[in-house]
Amino acid sequence: MSPSSEKKQLRQNALLVDATRCIGCHSCEVACKLEHDLPEGPRIIKIIQIGPVETGDGLWMNFMAVTCFHCDRPACVIACPTGAMKKRPDGLVYSDAELCIGCQTCAVACPFGVPQLNPETGKIAKCDGCKERVDQRLWPACALKCPTGSLHFGTPSGVVHDRRMERAVRIVHTFPK
Amino acid sequence: MISYEPLKRLAGTRKDHDRSVRTVCQECTVGCGLLAYVKDERIVDIQGDEAHPVSRGRLCAKGMAFVQGLTHPDRITLPATRNRLQGPFEAMDNWEKGLDLLAERLRRTKDRHGPESLVVGCDPEAGLDFFLAALRFAKLWGTPHVYHPLSGSKDQMLPGERIDPWAPCPNWLDSRCIFLMEADLATTHPVAFGWVLDAQRRETKVCAVDTRHTTTLSKADMHAVIQPEGGNVLGLAIMKLLLDEGLCFDESISNRFVKSNEWRESFNKMVIDGIERKIGMLPENIQSLTRFLADNSPVTIVTGKRLAFYPYYGIWSTMARAMGWTDTHGGGWYPLESGQPRLNPTSDIPGSDDELPDVSKTGVAPYQLTADCVATVGEMEPKALICTGNCLNDFFSPFQPRVKDMDLVTYFGTYPNLTCKLAHMFFPAAVWAERDGLCFTNDRAIQWGCRIVLPSDACRSGLGFWIRLAQRFGWEEYFPWKKENGLADHTAFYNWIFDQSPETSGCRVDQLRDASQLVCWPVQDKTEAPKQITPMHAPSEIEPTIRPDEADRFPLQFQATRIISHAGDASHWWPWTRELEAENGVQIHPEVARALAIENGDTVIVAGAGEAWEGRAWISRMVDKGMVWSPRRFRENRVLVYKPGQTRDQSRDILKEILQ
Repeated sequence: MSPSSEKKQLRQNALLVDATRCIGCHSCEVACKLEHDLPEGPRIIKIIQIGPVETGDGLWMNFMAVTCFHCDRPACVIACPTGAMKKRPDGLVYSDAELCIGCQTCAVACPFGVPQLNPETGKIAKCDGCKERVDQRLWPACALKCPTGSLHFGTPSGVVHDRRMERAVRIVHTFPK
Repeated sequence: MISYEPLKRLAGTRKDHDRSVRTVCQECTVGCGLLAYVKDERIVDIQGDEAHPVSRGRLCAKGMAFVQGLTHPDRITLPATRNRLQGPFEAMDNWEKGLDLLAERLRRTKDRHGPESLVVGCDPEAGLDFFLAALRFAKLWGTPHVYHPLSGSKDQMLPGERIDPWAPCPNWLDSRCIFLMEADLATTHPVAFGWVLDAQRRETKVCAVDTRHTTTLSKADMHAVIQPEGGNVLGLAIMKLLLDEGLCFDESISNRFVKSNEWRESFNKMVIDGIERKIGMLPENIQSLTRFLADNSPVTIVTGKRLAFYPYYGIWSTMARAMGWTDTHGGGWYPLESGQPRLNPTSDIPGSDDELPDVSKTGVAPYQLTADCVATVGEMEPKALICTGNCLNDFFSPFQPRVKDMDLVTYFGTYPNLTCKLAHMFFPAAVWAERDGLCFTNDRAIQWGCRIVLPSDACRSGLGFWIRLAQRFGWEEYFPWKKENGLADHTAFYNWIFDQSPETSGCRVDQLRDASQLVCWPVQDKTEAPKQITPMHAPSEIEPTIRPDEADRFPLQFQATRIISHAGDASHWWPWTRELEAENGVQIHPEVARALAIENGDTVIVAGAGEAWEGRAWISRMVDKGMVWSPRRFRENRVLVYKPGQTRDQSRDILKEILQ
C-alpha cells in the first residue's frame, strides 16, 4: 500500500440521521434492497416508528432510520469465527461473503441486532456502508434516495459543518415578515 | 473565497450498464425525474435525476420498487380467454385473434342490450393514453360510461358553475402557511412533503388536519384530528368564524364574488351550534385553528382528493378567494391530483359538444359508485365491462356481485389480480416504464416519460389496445396514430391531444424531451382581470354524516387510505415494498383494544352491515377511539371489530359502553 492510498483510506465516513426530518417513507430501505439486490426478509436499514404517545401537549410521533453503527470496537468482528466480518481503515464494518458461513454468531454478538441472514444466499446481510459506492466517491444509496434529506453522508466534521451551513442559510432566507 | 460545497450530494451508479435513460416516475403526480441504468434490456439501477427541476435527485420507495414488477414471474404475457367464469383460461398466441373475439362479443352485447351496456374502468395504471382513447372509443360506440378515479369530481363542487382557475396555484411553497386538509402528503407524495419540510425550515408554518394522527400531522406546527366526512364541514365553520371575526379581505369578496352580500348573509344565518359533533373538534379548537390561519396569511390550502367526493367541497376555493390568498404570491388553493388540464379527445367526432364529455350521465364520480348508487341509477345496466388495474376490487367494486350476470368482462392489465380472476378475457398491458407517455404533475407541469425498456412479449399500451379494437369496427380514421410497424405512435397522439385544448394548444412532445426546462400549462391569462365567481354559500342546514341508527348498530367508523409503500394494485407485485407494511393491518385505539381484549397482532374480524373480513390488529393512537383504519379498501364505513370467538353483540355492547 503506497503512503498516499493509505492516507486516502483513512478518511472517516459518517452517516447523519436527522430524525426530525424522517417521515418513515421507507425509501432508504428500498434503496438498500435495490443497491444490494436483496430479497424479502432482511431489512438492512429499517425505519422504526415511535408513537404516537400521549404527552401533556397532545400526541407525539416520530420516525427513525436505524442501521449498523459501524462501531469502533465491533462485537460482531470479534465474534466471527471465520474472520468474515471485518472493519476497514475508514471505519466501515462489512461481512466478506466468501468467508461467511452463515453461522449468525455475529447476529448474537451485536448489541443492536444488526446482522441478519439473507435467506437466498445463506450468508449474513448487513450494512457495508455501500463501501463500493463510497470508494467511487458516491453517497450510500440510502442517503442519496432519502426524499426529505433526513440522511446525510460525509465525513464526521463535514456532516456537522453542512448542518451548520444549512442552519445559516435558513436564517439568511427567513421569510420576510 | 472559501472553496467549500456544502450539502453536496454525490450521485451516480456503481453498476455495470449499457445505457441510461432519463425519464419521469409515474407512480404518483409529483413527477420526479428518474435516471434508469439498463444492462441487457433489464433495469440494473434507478437513481433520482439530480438535474431534474422537480425532484432534484430525490426519490421515494415506489419510484424504485416498481422495477420488481417489470420482471415478476406472475406477469400476464399473452392474451387469454374462457367461456365460463369458473373455467380455465386458454392462452391465445396472438393479439389479433383475441381482439377479433373481443370485437365479436362486444358487438353481440351491443345488439342485445344497446350501446350503453358497455362500461369502461380506467385505472391510472393503464395510462392516460388508455383513458383518452377510451373516451374516444366510447363516444363512437355510444356509451357515456367511462370512469377514471382521478377525474370526474370536478363539476361537483358547484353544479352548473365552474370556478376558475381549476389548477393548483403555483408557488405554493412560498406561502407563509401551508394548510394540509386531509392531505397526507408525507404518505402519498413523500418527495413533495420533503419540499414542505424545506419550506418549514424557511419559517413557513405547516398546519394539518386529518381523520387520523398521520405522519403529516406529526410534523405540523398546528394540527387537529377530525371525524371522517367532516372535512368540508370544518371548512364551512372556519369560513363563518373568519367572517364573524372580520378576518376576511373585504375587497377580495366584493371584487371576486357574484352577489357577495347574499353570500355573506348565508354565513350570517349559518348555525354553528352542534357543528362540533359533525366535525369531531371542540369549538375552541376550531377557533384557534381559524386564528392561526388568519395570522399566517397568505395560506395555501392543500386539499386531499377524498374531500372532492363529499358535499360543500366548494368551500376551499371560496375561502382562498374570500381571504385574498388566491390573488397573492404564495397563496391560494391547491387541490391534489388536479394538475391535469381539460383535455378533449372527442371534439372531432360528430355529435360531440365542445365540452369534455361528463364522466357519466349519472353525474356519479367513481368513488361514489357505492352499491346503493349502482342499484338506484337506472341508466346503469352494464352487460360488458372493460377493466384495468384492479378496478373490480377498487372503484368498480359495486359491480363485483353483478359480474356473474354480465355477458363479458375484459381485463387489460399486467398482473393476475382479482379483476383478472373475474374476467372472461384478458390482454397483457405494458407498464409505464415500457411505454412513452405524458404525465401531468400536481404543479401543472407537462412532462414526457420516455420508455425505459421494451415491453415483454405481447404487452401493449392502452392506445395500442384501442387502436386495434377500433379497427375492427371500421373506425381507423378516428385512430390514425400508428407507426409504420403497426404499433401506437404516442408522440403523434399527444401532439394531436395538445391541440384540442386551449390550455395546452401549441405544446409539442419534442419540446418536453428536454426535462431541464419545465413546461407548465396555463390556467388563465394573467393580463385578464380575474373573473367573478359564484362562491359556495353556507347551507341552511348541514346534513348529518352519520345516521343515529347506524351508529347504534355499528359504533365504529371505518376508513381506508393509502399506505406509503403502495401506489396502486401493481405494488402487490413488488416484494420490496409489500413486506414493509401489512396490508390487512387494522389500526385500533389502545383503549378500545383493551376493552375488547385484543392484543397487537391478534386476528380480528372487521364487520359491516354487508360484509366482513379478517385482519391483523395494529394497536395505535394514530386512530381516535371511535374509529378503525386499514389500508385495505372495504365498502362499509360503519363497522364492529371483534376477535374470533366473540359475538357481534358482545362487541357492540362493549364498544357502546366505552364510546359513551
